[in-house]
Amino acid sequence: MLATAFTGELTKLRRTIAPWVTLGSLMTGPLFLALFMWIIRDPQRAAEFGLLGTKAALSGIEPTWSSFAGFLTLIVGLGGTLLLAFVAAYVFGREYSEGTAKIMLTLPIPRPSFVVAKLAVAAVWWLTIVLVVFVEAVLVGLALALPGITGVGVVSLLGNLLLVAGISYLLAPAVALVTVWTRGYLAPVGFALGMLLLGNVVGHTGWAPWFPWSIVPILVGSVGDPVDTLPSGSLLILAITFAGGIVATIQVLQNADNTQ
Amino acid sequence: MTSEAVVTTRGLTKRYGSVVAVADLDLEVRKGEIYAFLGRNGAGKTTTIRMILGLIRPDAGEVRVFGPTADSAHPEWLRRVGSLVETATAYPNLTVRENLDLHRRYTGAPARAVPDVIEQLGLAPVADRRAGQLSLGNKQRLSLARALVHAPALLVLDEPANALDPAGIVEIRQLLRSLADGHGTTVFVSSHILVEVAHLADRIGIVHAGRLIEELDREALIAAARTFSAEQLTDQQRADALLGLELERYFLARTDEGPR
Repeated sequence: MLATAFTGELTKLRRTIAPWVTLGSLMTGPLFLALFMWIIRDPQRAAEFGLLGTKAALSGIEPTWSSFAGFLTLIVGLGGTLLLAFVAAYVFGREYSEGTAKIMLTLPIPRPSFVVAKLAVAAVWWLTIVLVVFVEAVLVGLALALPGITGVGVVSLLGNLLLVAGISYLLAPAVALVTVWTRGYLAPVGFALGMLLLGNVVGHTGWAPWFPWSIVPILVGSVGDPVDTLPSGSLLILAITFAGGIVATIQVLQNADNTQ
Repeated sequence: MTSEAVVTTRGLTKRYGSVVAVADLDLEVRKGEIYAFLGRNGAGKTTTIRMILGLIRPDAGEVRVFGPTADSAHPEWLRRVGSLVETATAYPNLTVRENLDLHRRYTGAPARAVPDVIEQLGLAPVADRRAGQLSLGNKQRLSLARALVHAPALLVLDEPANALDPAGIVEIRQLLRSLADGHGTTVFVSSHILVEVAHLADRIGIVHAGRLIEELDREALIAAARTFSAEQLTDQQRADALLGLELERYFLARTDEGPR
C-alpha cells in the first residue's frame, strides 16, 4: 500500500514545474555568493559595482571556502526552510486546489499511507535539491579557486548541509498539518514564514533551544554564533514536532469532512 | 435482480450548523439495480453520496456498503466501488491515459483495463492529451472512466451527465444500463433531471430538504408523471414539454455520425 502510494505521488509530479522552480530558487544561493566573492576580491571591482559592491563588502563575506560554506549553510537553513514549506504545502495542497482530494480519499488505500508517502516524496525532493546545490557549490568553489577548498572542507559542507536540511525537514509535517487543515497553499506558506520570523525573534532569547523554529537559526548562526551540537532537549522537541505533525495530519485527513 | 442490499443507510443525518443537509435517511440499494437519487440543487444528494463514500462523517446514523459499516479507516471495501463526486476532476498535468493508469495502480486493476475503458468511454482521440487541456465534457468522460477502470461492483455517481451533450448523455445512459444488466453492477446515481432518471433507473428516491419524501420504481414514476400531466398541465405546457424532446431527438439525429 505504502509503495503504491509513494510511486503514485511521484507520478503526480510528472510535468509539474514546482520541482524545477524550487531547485532554481535554491541554486541562486551559490551563484549570488559567488558573485559577491568575485566582487569583494578586488576593491577596484567593488567600487565599480556601486551599491552592489557596497552591499557585498558589508555582508561580511570573505572570499574563502569556509566563508562560502558558512553562508551557504545559512541560506539552505533559512531560505531552505521556507522552500521546504512550499514543497510540503504543494504535495498536500494541490489535492485541494486541483479538486483531487475526493479522488485520493475514496481510494482503497489507507489515508495514513498517503500522508507518509507525500512526506517521503517531499523528503526525496528536498534531498535532491540540497545535493544538487551542494554539487553546484563545489563547482563554484573550484571555479573561483577559493582558498581553503579541500576534501575535508567539502565533506564538512556536505555534512552541515545535510544536518540543517534534515532538521528543517523535521518541521515539514507541521506545514502539512496546516495545509490539510486549511486546504490550500497560502496558509501553510504564511505559517512557515511566520514561524521563521518568530524563530529568529525567539532565537535571541533564552528559549531558542526549546522552540522548534529557532533551532535551525541557532545551528546556522543567524541568531548568534553557529553551534556545533544541539542540546538533547532540542532534539527531543524536534522529534515531538515531527511525530506530532504526522499524527495530527493523519487525524485531520481521517476525520475532517471533505466537502471540496 | 436479487434483493441483496449493497448500500444501506439507517437514520443517516448530517447538519451544518443549523442547516440540516440530510435528515434521518433510510435507503437500501439492491444488488444489480440502478437506483436514482432525485432532488433539486441543495436537496442533500451530494452530502449523502459523500457520506456513503466516507468523505463526510455523519452526525448520526450509519452507512453499510457490501454488508459491514463503511469505514474510511479501513478502506479495502473501496476497491469494489467506483465513484464520481460532483465536478469532474483529474490531475491536470497527467494525460488521460496516465490519470487512468494511476487509478488502475491504486485499485490493483490489470493493465489491460486502461485501453479498454478508454475505448469504452470514447476517449481514444484524447488519450494522450493532458487532462488540464480537455473540454468539460471530456473531463466528465475521464472521471467516469476512472470510476469504471477497476470494474467495480458498485458505482456511486453524482450527476454523471454534467457537462455532457445530449448524445453523450444517451451514451452514458446505455453504458450504465449495460453494466447493470450485463455485469450485475449496482449503480447509485444522483440527478436533478427527471427525464434522465426516468430513462435509466429501476428505482427512484426523491429527496427534498434532506428527507426522502418518496421512493418508487420507474413504471410508477412514469405513471405518476402521466397522471400529473393529464390533471395539472395545460395543453400549451404539454406541447412545450413535447417540443423539448422533439428538439433533442432532432439534434441527436443531425449529429449522429458527426465528429464528437
